[in-house]
Amino acid sequence: MNQQQRTAAERLDDAVGHVLDGVAAPVASSAAGAELRPLVNLAGGLRAALVPPPVAPRFEARLGARLSDVSRDPLGWALGHPGRLIVTGALGSAVGVGVTAYAVWRSGRRAHRLQHR
Amino acid sequence: MSAEPRQKPAPDPDLVDVLAAKHDSAAFGALYRRYLDRVYGYCFYLLGDHHDAEDVTERTFLAALSSIADFRDTGAGFRPWLFRIAHNQVANALRSRTRRATSPLEGVAEPAASDDPAAAVSSAEDAHRLRHAVASLSEDRRQVVVLRFVDGLSAREIGMVLDRSEGAVRVLQHRALRDLAAMLGRR
Repeated sequence: MNQQQRTAAERLDDAVGHVLDGVAAPVASSAAGAELRPLVNLAGGLRAALVPPPVAPRFEARLGARLSDVSRDPLGWALGHPGRLIVTGALGSAVGVGVTAYAVWRSGRRAHRLQHR
Repeated sequence: MSAEPRQKPAPDPDLVDVLAAKHDSAAFGALYRRYLDRVYGYCFYLLGDHHDAEDVTERTFLAALSSIADFRDTGAGFRPWLFRIAHNQVANALRSRTRRATSPLEGVAEPAASDDPAAAVSSAEDAHRLRHAVASLSEDRRQVVVLRFVDGLSAREIGMVLDRSEGAVRVLQHRALRDLAAMLGRR
């Protein structure tokens, strides 16, 4: 498929890709066609204007510490995901039922022993 | 739509770290450090406020950490997956916002100064006007411009984030640049 058969949006996207890779806008626009040249030049301006804003170091450190805490904390890990919360709840309930059943069985045995003394 | 043969996407450079993080969430730190600036930039340019951008960035990374175990390598890559989470969080923030930012995008570093003071002022003013013009775009066009120019995502990746076809993203980008050119009186 030659350049003329490609849509303007496709040719512009290719030229924008070149601009984002660091190619000068006039060079990048040469293949896109004369009618797209102003838009490719504008893309060069956008690349310069839309610089990533600085992240506050305090925010970066605080969020990093929070992520680290969550990844170490099993409860936080479970709370962060509904599926995990269900599994954690089910396991917790199973442990609770087991402990209660054991306690009932132990107290039953003790009462039985006392009765036969 | 293009009839060009579909190019095979390059292997995801994040995959090793993603696989490590799936088994050991402490390994998520590498992905956090790599993407913090870009996710924050995306949130800032869409919300127009540093405080809101921090809030939404935090929610994005916490949500990503909690669901990293569910990430499936379907060839789409980690980047669109992460930005999709950010996109949803930004959408939630915009929905719950009662006020609209009136003076967005302050606090962005101006382009590096040149030796010519007049050119430097002109360049800084141009950048300021461009950012305000971007803030005036319709939301879908602004999303495309920010994901493309701030975060460096391809049309294919942006399509995955916004749930649109690659062709639709290219058309949105074309229209956004035409709108910006009209706003700035360049055409």
